[in-house]
Amino acid sequence: MPAAVQKEKGSASLVAMLLVPIIVVNSIGFILPILNLAQLSFKEALVGGGIGEAFTLSNWAILIEDTFYLEVLWQSVWVSAAITLITLACSYPIALYLHRTSDPIRTVLIVLVISPLLTSAVIRTYGWVALLSDNGVITSLLTSMGLNVPPLMFNTTGVIIGMTEILMPYMILALFAGFGRLDQNVEDAARALGANELRVFTRVVFPLTLPGVVLGCLLVFVLAVSSFITPKLLGGGRVFLLATEIYDQAIVTLNWPLAATLSMLVLIVFGLALALYARALRLVTA
Amino acid sequence: MPSDQPSPSRTAGTGVPLHLRGLTKKYQDFVGVDNLNLDIQGGELVALLGPSGCGKTTTLRMVAGLIPVTSGEILVGGRDVTSTPTYQRDMGLVFQSYALFPHMTIAQNVAFGLEMRGIGKDEIKARVRDALRMVHLEGKEDRKPTQLSGGQQQRVALARALVVRPSILLLDEPLSNLDAKLRDEMRREIREIQQKTGITALFVTHDQVEALAMCDKIVVMQAGKLMQAGTPREIYEAPANPFVASFVGRANRLTARGDGSGRYGLSGVEIRGSAGISGNVTMMIRPHRITINDPAAAGENGLSGRLTEVTYVGDLVQLEVASGDQTIMVERSTRSQEALPTIGESVSLNWSAADTMVFSEDAP
Ligand SMILES: Nc1ncnc2c1ncn2[C@@H]1O[C@H](COP(=O)(O)OP(=O)(O)O)[C@@H](O)[C@H]1O
Ligand SMILES: [Mg+2]
Repeated sequence: MPAAVQKEKGSASLVAMLLVPIIVVNSIGFILPILNLAQLSFKEALVGGGIGEAFTLSNWAILIEDTFYLEVLWQSVWVSAAITLITLACSYPIALYLHRTSDPIRTVLIVLVISPLLTSAVIRTYGWVALLSDNGVITSLLTSMGLNVPPLMFNTTGVIIGMTEILMPYMILALFAGFGRLDQNVEDAARALGANELRVFTRVVFPLTLPGVVLGCLLVFVLAVSSFITPKLLGGGRVFLLATEIYDQAIVTLNWPLAATLSMLVLIVFGLALALYARALRLVTA
Repeated sequence: MPSDQPSPSRTAGTGVPLHLRGLTKKYQDFVGVDNLNLDIQGGELVALLGPSGCGKTTTLRMVAGLIPVTSGEILVGGRDVTSTPTYQRDMGLVFQSYALFPHMTIAQNVAFGLEMRGIGKDEIKARVRDALRMVHLEGKEDRKPTQLSGGQQQRVALARALVVRPSILLLDEPLSNLDAKLRDEMRREIREIQQKTGITALFVTHDQVEALAMCDKIVVMQAGKLMQAGTPREIYEAPANPFVASFVGRANRLTARGDGSGRYGLSGVEIRGSAGISGNVTMMIRPHRITINDPAAAGENGLSGRLTEVTYVGDLVQLEVASGDQTIMVERSTRSQEALPTIGESVSLNWSAADTMVFSEDAP
């Protein structure tokens, strides 16, 4: 008995010791910068990029009073939500196929899914610029077929198309990882009980993959809200999102306190998304 | 939309017959099931028995419509269902792994098939209750499958399959994941429910005890081929070939030479057997049908040898006897009071001509 207690104590201090490095890294690389941003959002912005010493609520007041920022917030949330849903719809069949295919082909397909991540998002976005611009491949092809094509770039359509493709690998991998509860026999049991393919999917397959779906959605939503290169290039300065606005305030206007305040706003959005995720996960695994 | 006519409840023997005609499944150039012909009468419980990999599951999945057949026909109640999709085949399926819907409660699991048939809420409720009562799981309606034991989960699977009153019940090694005692209990329960509902059932197993104890008929398969179909007694007492003789029950396998008149030479001794085959033959004798040092059996077939090993296995004692270049296993019940010889002693073995099963050398 004393030996067991001894051992318990020993492993507890070992756990603490093993946790030290990650706590240090996270404190320096993550917590401290966030605290710094938080205090910066209560500082006054001086002309020419200076930061005042006095405490002020003016940056936060701007967020509430200036309807522009509320619009940016709203635009950011719905564009990211749209990107998330379209990414889910495009990725789900691929992930399901990956899950069901047998080994040699599966390995090749997984490598293919991951391979876009080896290329920078900037380069992939320029690829989309070439495809979507007014005299790009897609528009000219559709126009030559006599179709009246709306502009596909420098608007939210372009941002959504580009972001969907760029975020698909993350969604596919998250879904694939979450498909562990699928079981051929369970599906077959449903078939034998009189469920056609559509009902097997809606009543058995999809519900069993929901944990993967909510995880993938959280991941893609967070990445969509925070990415700014693709929206910047494909939005052409005409699509106003939180991430691009933070970039503009910090780099162009040199208003660091306002950029910090907007960053805190993004953090709040993430917090809400995380809470929603936790709730959804409880629901789908209950 | 509640169904207005009460569904007919089946009584014993009213199940529909199942016929397999030349059923064949090829995986590329490997033949998983080879030209299987089978006639199962309505209300029969038939075991599909064979070693692992012999094509039992493949057969069952073809009957259920889960994999396409390469050739052959499946007739349910005289109707050809070979190309009918699974969801319209009306078959109950029970798997070794239970295969319950993990995201649904027990009641939702059992109700699933009824919902698919568009049956009204009130009737579903009543039938789910009856089905759960049938498998002694009243009160577990709101549990999730993971909150039940293996035996209970398999009972739910059985209730889920039977509540829709399917025409055929298909069970793929349903007891193989359960411990020995529970397996015994479930065996009885499945048999009882099958007889009460009168449903035609195909029961896949690799366990000969299970097949012998539960089923009206046994179909023995090996390497995709039908070896023998018959009642448990026929299979055990009159196996069609050495494979069946040794797979169902234990048997000594000896080689002998026949003269075509029912007399065989075995280690230089003349043995009378059940068939008249000439040339080299395989001779099979069940170990517990052999007597050891029994003067009353002196007129029967006999061999003498030396006792080389004695193994005590609870209800049996297994004795190994070397006779010439053959080794013969003898089993005696531990209940009998006979004094057993000691190792190294000379013994005489006797068995009747009727217990001497003889097969031509090239039988499987
Ligand atoms: N999808 C498949 N592709 C190739 N071979 C298969 C496939 N499914 C089963 N087999 C082979 O067919 C044979 C019979 O399998 P199965 O019916 O599962 O045997 P059992 O249920 O009697 O153990 C086995 O040798 C197995 O390897
Ligand atoms: Mg099998």
